Amino acid sequence: MDSDHDVAPLLVGPLTFCRYSYRRIWSKVPGVDARREKAGDQPLYSRVRHELTDMVLRRALDDTSPLPPEPRLMEIFAVSRGTLRRAIDDLVREGLLSAEQGRGTFVKQEERLRRVVWERLKHVAIPDSRFDRDLREFVPDFFGSEEATRRVMSLEEWTSASRVFCAPDNSVERLRYEALSAGKNVLVPTYGLRRGFIHLNGSVLSRSDLRHAASLDGMESYGVVLGPGDLRRFGNVDLIVTGATAATSDGRHIGGGQRYLALEWAMMEQLGLVSTAVPVVALVHECQLVEEVVEADHDCLIDYIATNSRVIHVWGSTGSASNEAPRSLRRIV
Amino acid sequence: MSRVDTENYRERIWTELAKVARPDSRFHWDFSSFICDFEGSEECSDRVVQMDALTKRGDRRVFITPDNCLEDLRFKLISRGVSFVMTTYGIVRGFYELDSSKIPASDHRYAATLDGFDRYAKPVSLDQLRRGSPFSLLVTGGSAVSSNGVRFGKGHGYFDFEWAILSELGLTDKSSVVVDVVHDCQFVNEVMPAERHDVAVDWVVTPTRSIHIDQTTRQRGQVYWEMVPGTEFERLDVVAELWALTKEKQP
Repeated sequence: MDSDHDVAPLLVGPLTFCRYSYRRIWSKVPGVDARREKAGDQPLYSRVRHELTDMVLRRALDDTSPLPPEPRLMEIFAVSRGTLRRAIDDLVREGLLSAEQGRGTFVKQEERLRRVVWERLKHVAIPDSRFDRDLREFVPDFFGSEEATRRVMSLEEWTSASRVFCAPDNSVERLRYEALSAGKNVLVPTYGLRRGFIHLNGSVLSRSDLRHAASLDGMESYGVVLGPGDLRRFGNVDLIVTGATAATSDGRHIGGGQRYLALEWAMMEQLGLVSTAVPVVALVHECQLVEEVVEADHDCLIDYIATNSRVIHVWGSTGSASNEAPRSLRRIV
Repeated sequence: MSRVDTENYRERIWTELAKVARPDSRFHWDFSSFICDFEGSEECSDRVVQMDALTKRGDRRVFITPDNCLEDLRFKLISRGVSFVMTTYGIVRGFYELDSSKIPASDHRYAATLDGFDRYAKPVSLDQLRRGSPFSLLVTGGSAVSSNGVRFGKGHGYFDFEWAILSELGLTDKSSVVVDVVHDCQFVNEVMPAERHDVAVDWVVTPTRSIHIDQTTRQRGQVYWEMVPGTEFERLDVVAELWALTKEKQP
């Protein structure tokens, strides 16, 4: 938070090797000290913003009822109305709070969970080749994704699937490789769905191309680009595998916030490629599991959660979620 | 050349480059976020791998930037068993070293991408780096380059800075060869003045030709510390480490 904090690498273990303090460096560069000292002097509203964020993450504030009234908050933080409003405005812009006309300001549960999980992920996440540690921009691969991948592959739904939709999440890269190795057809959206979907056919790829084809950097060299107009050519999807920022025990998929999965689902559903009977598997680290019932905005519901240590069948022995009412939530908001 | 002139060139170059450019897996067509690959980069790498600075490098090392137009070159180096040092995107995680002999043949293409490189390469601290041999060949891409080998336009700052770091560590010398891999449309046949932190290049390699530029008077690079604050380099771990290594004279 403080602009002069020590370098605290996201990753522990093999990916960390350097720990130096910025303050130590820049205090010694001629003519720089003054500027840095000043930058360390953070404005009041920014302190309030940090404290408020902290309260939200510690769940010191109730998710379901509005924030305490302004005078009370002004008292808690010992600041003026203007300063308080500025801090709250910032958090609304960041998506952690939402201001609802006539009802008050609320904590956004989904964003709170994201932040909680991002904090946990720091210890197991693997940086992206471009976005590095900026988890807002991508779903990271993690230590243990091999085990999670193996668990997806142990599902009967995997064995019988010949056409698999795989999210372009880094945690799913290994599974994409396994799908191609098994000769399956794989449909992968381009990052951010900006340039359509890529259709890869594992049965026609040479063994030595599989790793490359499974990566975001390589997939376009081997696949066919499908836009919304020709997506139907892929055929019916038998299985959906996705990463997630968080997965709740009641089967909610919480993504990075842009709702790509919901959008992709909706496109495929419109074109008749998927129905609610198609099983959805989330491949996540155990730390991304959230034991909470979330009043989240509608997103794709999950049938299985495969982690580094287990598989959770969200709908228990009663079978797939397809018969359950919540499945109808699979639509774009 | 005046500022207005370079602006003009820039615009013309981007228009031309967009016709032959290949999108990035994350940034797509947002060319301000990455150095793009282009049609014909394979011809460039075919010629780079034949350069004396590579074939006769002895035990000296090779450095490459994480630019997309160098992906094919990385593939060819890996296939030939040539190990190299590369920075991560934006130098955020500093320098990594890829031991090409350790890559299974089936993964050569993959290891040449930024995604795959991350899986196979090992991070090297500056301290580890400076214990090794100096660099014989340094290859970068992108920007625009003048007839006297001065690179200009977006994205050239990173390589200049990498060169400065490697120089501070004593890993560059008179015989180090600097190559810029660009599309023909990025070569500007005009002499441009160099600023003190610019690295003038020895070779400009395009899909159709290789242009040699005499740089015998090139000075060793250095980090101009007073220029770092306020830039994208300010918060890099390597900057902190370099300061500790070179200024604090730690054991």
